[in-house]
Amino acid sequence: MKKEGSFLKLGFVGPTLLFLITLNLFPLFYNIVLSFTDAQLSQNDYNFVGGRNYALIFDTLTSPKYADAIRTTGEFVLIAVTFELLLGFCLALALKAKFSGKPVVLTILLVPMMLSPAVMGLFWNLILNAHNGILNQALGSIGLPTPHWLTEPKLKLIAVLLVDIWMWTPYMMLIALAGLNAIPGYIYEAAEIDRASMWTVFRRITLPMCAPLLFLAVLFRMTDALKQFDLVMALTGPNDASTQTLSALLYQLTFANQKVGLGSAYACVVLVVVIALASVFTRYLDWLAKKQGRLA
Amino acid sequence: MKALRITVITLYTILGVLPLLWLILTAFKHHPDTITASAKFIPLPGAEIGGEGLSFAPTIEGFAHLAEPPAGAEFSFLEHLLNSTIIGVLSTLASVALGTSCAYGFSRFRIPGSKDWLFFILSTRFMPPLAVVAPVLIMYRTFDLPNTHLGLIILYTAFNLSLAVWLMKGFIDEIPRAYEESALVDGYSRASAFFRIILPHARTGMAVTAVFCLISAWNEFGFAMTLNNAQAVTVPVYFAGLQGNTNGVPWPQIAAGALLFVLPIVVFTVLVRDHLLRGVTFGTIKQ
Amino acid sequence: MNLRLTSLVAVLGFTSLVGCKKEDAPTGTQTAAASSAAGDKKGGTVTIWWAQWAPADGLQELGNDYEKETGVAVKVHQVPWSSYQDQVFLNFGNKTTAFDIVVGDSQWLGRGATGKLYLDLTDWLPKVVDIKTIHPQALHYLCEYPGGSGHYFAAPGETDAVGFAYRKDWFEDPKEQAAFKAKHKKDLAIPNTWDDLKEIAEFFNRPAQKRYGVALLTGRGYDALVMGFQPFLWDFGGSWGDPATFKVKGMLNTPGAADGLKFMKSLLAFAPANGPNIDYGPSLEAFTSGSTAMAMNYFAFYPKIVKDLGPKAGFFVAPAKGDKRFSSLGGQGMSISAKVSPDQQKLAKDFIAWFLKKETQEKWITKEAGFTANVEILNSDAFKKATPYNEPFSRSMNLLQDFWNVPSYNELLAASVQHLGEALDGVKKPEEALELISTEHERIFKEAGLSK
Repeated sequence: MKKEGSFLKLGFVGPTLLFLITLNLFPLFYNIVLSFTDAQLSQNDYNFVGGRNYALIFDTLTSPKYADAIRTTGEFVLIAVTFELLLGFCLALALKAKFSGKPVVLTILLVPMMLSPAVMGLFWNLILNAHNGILNQALGSIGLPTPHWLTEPKLKLIAVLLVDIWMWTPYMMLIALAGLNAIPGYIYEAAEIDRASMWTVFRRITLPMCAPLLFLAVLFRMTDALKQFDLVMALTGPNDASTQTLSALLYQLTFANQKVGLGSAYACVVLVVVIALASVFTRYLDWLAKKQGRLA
Repeated sequence: MKALRITVITLYTILGVLPLLWLILTAFKHHPDTITASAKFIPLPGAEIGGEGLSFAPTIEGFAHLAEPPAGAEFSFLEHLLNSTIIGVLSTLASVALGTSCAYGFSRFRIPGSKDWLFFILSTRFMPPLAVVAPVLIMYRTFDLPNTHLGLIILYTAFNLSLAVWLMKGFIDEIPRAYEESALVDGYSRASAFFRIILPHARTGMAVTAVFCLISAWNEFGFAMTLNNAQAVTVPVYFAGLQGNTNGVPWPQIAAGALLFVLPIVVFTVLVRDHLLRGVTFGTIKQ
Repeated sequence: MNLRLTSLVAVLGFTSLVGCKKEDAPTGTQTAAASSAAGDKKGGTVTIWWAQWAPADGLQELGNDYEKETGVAVKVHQVPWSSYQDQVFLNFGNKTTAFDIVVGDSQWLGRGATGKLYLDLTDWLPKVVDIKTIHPQALHYLCEYPGGSGHYFAAPGETDAVGFAYRKDWFEDPKEQAAFKAKHKKDLAIPNTWDDLKEIAEFFNRPAQKRYGVALLTGRGYDALVMGFQPFLWDFGGSWGDPATFKVKGMLNTPGAADGLKFMKSLLAFAPANGPNIDYGPSLEAFTSGSTAMAMNYFAFYPKIVKDLGPKAGFFVAPAKGDKRFSSLGGQGMSISAKVSPDQQKLAKDFIAWFLKKETQEKWITKEAGFTANVEILNSDAFKKATPYNEPFSRSMNLLQDFWNVPSYNELLAASVQHLGEALDGVKKPEEALELISTEHERIFKEAGLSK
């Protein structure tokens, strides 16, 4: 095969990489620059103020705000992904067998994860309304308590979690199903011959063989959940202490408080975490690909 | 065991679908019926509006109102739907075009540092939009791009490129090299082999990628809200703006609009049903 | 093949369907600069941005009259309150603004003035209106920055105050009156003090029948909670701080202020389900839905109540504690964007000058919640009798105070809303919350260079 000219390679790959560098990489660097200024969104010029913004972040680590946002985001990600994983996996177990109408049911179940969180979040306001929402009406009609989902501080995060879990459990289910379907039938047959109990089969075969894909799903979901913004905006607004995730805090700082410099400083710290996560991710993907290659 | 399975499936299907059913019902109600203390879910023509009981008089008022702008605004829901469509479709076309050629490059050529480039491309997806919005906005101001269709199209193209490249690389990897190689042997240039051989085989892949890019752009909120908040406003941002309405939130309209907005997504979901797994995992998991 | 073709056809079909439905062309790739109304019309266009509510409709009607008189078109663009502030300041960052005039909230004055976003009107305003005819509170809080300095950055636009609406028909119901008298040994009437209001709220609070006593302003989105808290703060002896030295401690974190906050919290026991988080719109809704006996809100929201409930509703001035009776100032002044062309600024000035004429102000008060700053008209019988809410509004004008309007006002607001909210939710004790706010405020002032 003749050696490909670099010009040709550049032609295919270049435009995309240029695009990405301009719109993804450059803003990151610009963020770093801005984090040393007192820029405001309503002004056109700014001054350099040295490390003052960073000093403020680490100073406010002793006073709650940034630490709270980290904690809230962490709680959100942890609880959401755990529930989505558990529910999704259970659903996948239930859906593994063939039954009539399975494609239809599957498709219906998968719709929530394809919807716009901002739009559905807004509608969920009506469902979660303490006074006339159907959730409370349904709970009340079977005698359960009817809490004030969107006004009681402890429940606000739970409300956001509820909508997120409703939206994304199908995602975990889809991937778990793929994992379950990938387990070759003969392994189960061999286990049956050995008269292994259902629980042993689950523990020794099903779970370990699904684990790689499930872990991938968890990583995907985690990176998405870390960005949580749309639901918070729709259900509680960006300035609510009980649901202020990192993105909500960034919005509040940059657009409401008009402190672009401080917002950029926070953003830089966030981006460091994101890059670390991304490298874990790709390393895992590599390992997974090699493992699948070995098995195939 | 079977009974348990059926129960679980039925229960979850109901819970999953109920909010969507409620959305459909709300779209056909009069406004007073949407905020009554007793949930109304029985359509009964001629029922009393805002009265007690479980029945409501169905109406297409919500849909009709969609064509009127709300108080003091210039545009109705339909204009915003058009904005979403224009921005979504154009950014998708661009993403798929750029993504396919880039994926082909990574798939077929030895590009130095390709691993690192692919990692970089994937990591752009991990970025919280709010973390890069401020520099992007300032950059955009220099070129008068805020509040334009072009601005969001460019941005969405960039942010969907990661999805497009990874998905298309997966699809192109599956096309045997033998096809192009026989073409190359016959004297075709690499570029024309790309257009004549690869693209036709990658049709399905491109369609699937297009659908996922479109859905991503369609549903996007973070950038749309901060960059295009006065002109070229997309539907999710328009809905968010209705929340503060002093005449009371117009639930029938929101539900009707949401239905119209969500309908294409549902259609597309059904169309790419077989490739859903691939699409939502960046092509890393294939069924 | 099928998939791609189908999708493509579907998308194209959808686009054309939507495209057929719309009547006017959308803005397309218009930039903010192009849209700032540089005259499709012969005489030109003045673009005004205001919040989405009844007075903005009234302003548009006046604008139409202006067009008939002068040929200059006036377009009032209404933005929902919850995003009004963000949108305006975001727009100010562009090279030119989409608006020529912004009817900005009183708190924005400092930011607009020092950030060179509002045009300085100090020399021009006294030429087009007699400053003495402007109500002193309106002048101080809506037009001047710093307050009392004589530097003007906004012309008086809309004045407003926090007051109460109440179910007149319930109050005048003989059965209710008898029951109340039997219980409290006095007549059921408009409450004069906060304790009176509490008694009445408790009396009407019947959750079993989905009836509630009182809805207060407690919304966390922008400033509703602060505006709702202020009457309590001031009536119970506290204040936000010293405007000269920017000292806050000793004025905000006092036992009196804490008592005020505690009292406000105690009233939430008689509020509807979303009591601790009621914004302007929901407060209006709580009342117009017929479930609440009394609702606190800005007077500018009351036209809808009159429309929906007619003679069933009445209005009263914010109650007092002892001899202290204060209420939250509202209202927006008209500021001219410093970022539009001088020609547009001239058009804007002409419109504002026309708006401030006595004849126009007399027309303004006939619009729904068209509240003037003109002292003579405010005190006139014609005004007081024009609507059921004008008379208590007129009296409220003398009781008004406002929150900080320095450039960093929004940080001050956000900190206040967050901690006051925590106190109302029971997450923090009222004293703690006020202490936290005081510390934050002093830190913000120090950072902004306003205090040492």
